[in-house]
Amino acid sequence: MTTNRVLTEFTYEPSSVERGYTGQTLYVNLSENTVVAKPVTDVMKEKFIGGRGFGLWLLWHGVNDDTKWDDPENEIVISSGPCGGITQYPGSGKSLVVAISPLTNIVIDSNVGGHFGPLLKFAGWDALEIQGKAERDVIVFIDGVSGRVTIEEAPDVPVDTHLVGHWLIEQMAETEEDRYFMSSVSAGTGAENTRIGCLNFSLYDRKRKSPRFKQAGRGGTGTVFRDKRIKALVVKSPPVKGDSNHPADRARIAAAGVRLHKEIHDHDDHQNRMRRRGTPYLVQIMDDYHLLPVHNFKFGSHPDTPKINGEVWEARFTQGLPDGCWYGCTMACSHAVDGFELRTGPYKGQRVIVDGPEYETIGAVGSGCGIFDPDAILELNFYCDTYGLDTISYGTLTAFAMECYEAGILDREKTGGLDLRFGNAEASLSLLHQMARGEGFGLIAGQGVRRMKRIFAQEYGAAPQFLQDIGMESKGLEYSMYIPKESLAQQGGYGLTNKGPQHDEAWLIFMDMVSNLLPTFEDKAEALHYFPLFRTWFGLCGFCKLPWNDIVPPNNRDADEPAKIPAHVQNYVEIFSGVTGHEITKEDLIAMSEVVYNFQRVFNIRLGYGRREHDAIPYRSQGPVTVEEYEARGEYHDKQLSDVVGIDPAGMPTEEKIATLREYREAQYEKLKDAVYERRGWTSDGVPKLETLRNLGIDFPEVVAVVDKYL
Amino acid sequence: MIRVNNRDEIAWEEGLTVSALLERFRYTFPHIIVKIDRRVVPPVEYPTRAIPDGADVQAVHLIAGG
Amino acid sequence: MGKVLSYDPDLCVGCFVCEETCSETWFKVADRQKSNIRIHDDGEGNLSAIFCIQCGECTEICPTGALSQDKRGVVRVKKKLCVGCLACVGFCPYQAMFYHADQTEPFKCVACGKCVQECPAEALAILDE
Repeated sequence: MTTNRVLTEFTYEPSSVERGYTGQTLYVNLSENTVVAKPVTDVMKEKFIGGRGFGLWLLWHGVNDDTKWDDPENEIVISSGPCGGITQYPGSGKSLVVAISPLTNIVIDSNVGGHFGPLLKFAGWDALEIQGKAERDVIVFIDGVSGRVTIEEAPDVPVDTHLVGHWLIEQMAETEEDRYFMSSVSAGTGAENTRIGCLNFSLYDRKRKSPRFKQAGRGGTGTVFRDKRIKALVVKSPPVKGDSNHPADRARIAAAGVRLHKEIHDHDDHQNRMRRRGTPYLVQIMDDYHLLPVHNFKFGSHPDTPKINGEVWEARFTQGLPDGCWYGCTMACSHAVDGFELRTGPYKGQRVIVDGPEYETIGAVGSGCGIFDPDAILELNFYCDTYGLDTISYGTLTAFAMECYEAGILDREKTGGLDLRFGNAEASLSLLHQMARGEGFGLIAGQGVRRMKRIFAQEYGAAPQFLQDIGMESKGLEYSMYIPKESLAQQGGYGLTNKGPQHDEAWLIFMDMVSNLLPTFEDKAEALHYFPLFRTWFGLCGFCKLPWNDIVPPNNRDADEPAKIPAHVQNYVEIFSGVTGHEITKEDLIAMSEVVYNFQRVFNIRLGYGRREHDAIPYRSQGPVTVEEYEARGEYHDKQLSDVVGIDPAGMPTEEKIATLREYREAQYEKLKDAVYERRGWTSDGVPKLETLRNLGIDFPEVVAVVDKYL
Repeated sequence: MIRVNNRDEIAWEEGLTVSALLERFRYTFPHIIVKIDRRVVPPVEYPTRAIPDGADVQAVHLIAGG
Repeated sequence: MGKVLSYDPDLCVGCFVCEETCSETWFKVADRQKSNIRIHDDGEGNLSAIFCIQCGECTEICPTGALSQDKRGVVRVKKKLCVGCLACVGFCPYQAMFYHADQTEPFKCVACGKCVQECPAEALAILDE
C-alpha cells in the first residue's frame, strides 16, 4: 500500500469489453488534476480502429498547430486496439504510444509489448490520454478492480525502471495474485536529461517471480513522460481470461491460434529459433549480407560478429521458460539473461535480469559502436532500459560521436576525457552514466544526432556537409539497424516514413537488394505503398508483427506472393472478423491503414513538417561517404559504377568514383520520391491530394485546411 | 550461363548444385525459396539438384526480420 | 510415474462408448468433440486412441502455471489460473490437449476411470505406478 498524497480521485463503473472495445477513453490532465471519461465515437472505430489510430485522433484534438513537445498541451496517448488482449493468437498484446517527439517535433508512434495496454482495456479504457504537466512528481493509478483512478504525489516512488518494477510488486501489489494483473509504465533518470527517453512497459514473469520490461523505444516518449513529471503509470485489472475481449466469434480466433501454436511448435527450431534465441538470430545473417551496421553504418560486416551472434545469445539466455510478452505468445522471443552482475554505475554489484538484448540493441550499442563483447552489450542494454533510454538512438548517436572523435572533430577536451574510439565499451558506459546524471558530454550527446550536427558545426567548426553525410538521422530521429546503402527501396523504406527512419514501416532490403523483386520504380513504389500500410495495421489492432513472418508455414513457398505469407494474413483477417464481428478481407487491412497513414502525414504537415524536403536522408544511408568505405568493398562499388551507372571506373581516383556514384544515387532517390508520392496519392511535394483525402473519408474541414495551403 | 535473380550471371558448371550456388552467393538466410525455370525446388533437394545450363534461377528471400 | 490411462488397440472394438462416457461425465452431453479420449479408425481395421499420458511437457509451456501435476502424477488444468491461450493444445506432443468453441479453457484426460468402467471390451485400464 502506498502513502502517497492523493491529488485527485475519480471513480467509475468499469465497463466490460464488447467485441474488443470498452467504448471509453480515459483523459487525465496533470496541470489541472482532472480526470474525465470520454466516449469512443463511431468515427473513431470506423476510421481509426484503435491503437495508433486512436492515439493520432486524440492527439490531433488535444494540441495546437504550434504545440512543442514540452508544452503542457502535448499528450502521451497509449492504446492497444480491438484485438489487443486476446490470448489465443501469438503476439496479441501490443500497444501504441503516440506523442509529439522531442527529436523530430512531429508525431512519434512507438509500438510496445508488455501488459499495460491490454490490462488498461480490461480495466475499462480503450486508451489513456495524458495532457498537462504536474507541479511535482506524480503517479497515476488506474484500478480497474475497484473502479478508481487517482493522481498521487509520489516523492518516494523510484524513477529508474528496474526499481519501479520492484516498487510495483512489493508496494502496489497486495498479494502474489495482484502481481499477475498489474503493470507499470516508467521511464528513468536518463529520460530526464536527454531527448531520447523511452518508456518501459512491465509484465509480471510468473516463473521468474519478477517484473520484466518491454520498451516503447523510439522518439523520446520517455522524455515527454518525465517532462510531465510522471514517475509511473500503474494499471490493475480483473483477471484475464480467454474471452475477456468478448469477441463476436471466439471459435475462429481459437482455431487460428491453435494453428499457429502448432506451426511454431513444429518449425521454429529449424527456422529462426525465436523461442530459443529471439531476434538476435538475425545478427549473423545481416553480417553475411553486409547489412549489419558497423562503425556508424560505415560497413556492413565485421570479422568479430560471431562473438555476438544468435548462437552466443542462445547460450546466454535462460532456456525453457514461457518468455512471451503477452499471454499466448508462443513465438516467445522475450528472452533474458538472469543473474547478470553489473560492473559499472550506481547499481554496480547488483545481480539483475537483463531484458534482451534484441537484434536492434546488438546492432546499435554493439557492432555500430565497434563493440563485440556480449557482457558490455548486456550492461549497456540494462542501463539504457532502467535509465529510460532508447537503445537504438543511444547506439546511433554514440557511433556518430565515435566517428567524429576518430575524425578529430571531437577530442578528449571536448568529450570531458572520454576516449570515444570505436570499440571502447568503457567510454560508452561512462557516457551513458553521464546521461543519467545529466552531466558532461552526456548532456550534449543526449540531444541526439541532429542537434549534435549543429553543435559540432557551430561550436567546433566542423564541416557541416561531412556531419550531415555521416550523421544517421532523418527527420531528427536516429536510424535503426539495417544498412540501406545498396537498396534504393530500403532508402525509401527509411526516408519516406511518417515518423522517421524506423524499420517498422517497411523492411524491403531482401526483396529489393537480394531477390531483385522490385526492379522498377513502379515496383518499389508499390512495395512502399503496400508494406508500410500492412505493418501500420498491426499497430491499429494490438498485434505484434513477428508472428506474421518470423515463422513461415511449410507450404508457403508454393503460394502466390510468398513474401506476404498469405496464410498468416488470412489468420489476421479471421481474427479481426472474429473479435469485432465485422467481416473484412485482406484488402480491407490496407484500406484501414491508408486512412490512418494519410492522417498522420497531414498531422505532420499541420505541425510544420511532413513535406518533400523533410523526407531528406543522409548520404551515408545511400552510399560510401569516405574513401575508406568505398575501398572496403572496392570491387563491388566499381561494378555498381560500370553495370548500373554505366560509367567505366578504370583510372578514376576514388574520390571521383565516390562523387559519380553519389550523383547517380541521389538522383535515384528523388525519382523514387516522385514514384512513391504518386502511388500514395500525394502531390510532388509529398502532400496528400484532396481527392485522396476524400476517397479515404478524412476530408474533415480541419484536415483540408492544413493541406489547402500547399495544394 | 546461369542467370540468378534476373540480374547476376555466372558461368555454368557441370554438377553445380543449388546448395553450392547458395553458398557461392553467401545466401545464408533461413527462408529462401529457390525456383529453377519457375519451378519450386523442395529444400530437401538443394544438396543434390544440379542446375542445368541456361537456367533462370530465382532465390527469393522471404522478408522476415526487422 | 503415477496414475495414467492405458489402451489396448487389439482389444478395442471401435464402439466409441468411451468417448460418449467421457463427454457425458465432464460436459453432460454426448459429443465426441468434448471427449478427453479420441478413438481413430483408419478404415483398414486399425484402431488407435489419443489421450493424455501425463508426460507433463505442457506444464513448461503454460505461461500462468495453470498446468501442474497433482500428487498422483496427473496433469490438471487449474481453470482459475488459465487464460485460455491454448498454447498447450498446439504444443502437446501427442495432440492430447483438446479445446472446443464453447469452452475458454482446454481439457484433457485426468485418468478418472469412467471410460474404463464402461468399455465393453476391457480395452482400457487405469495404471497406477
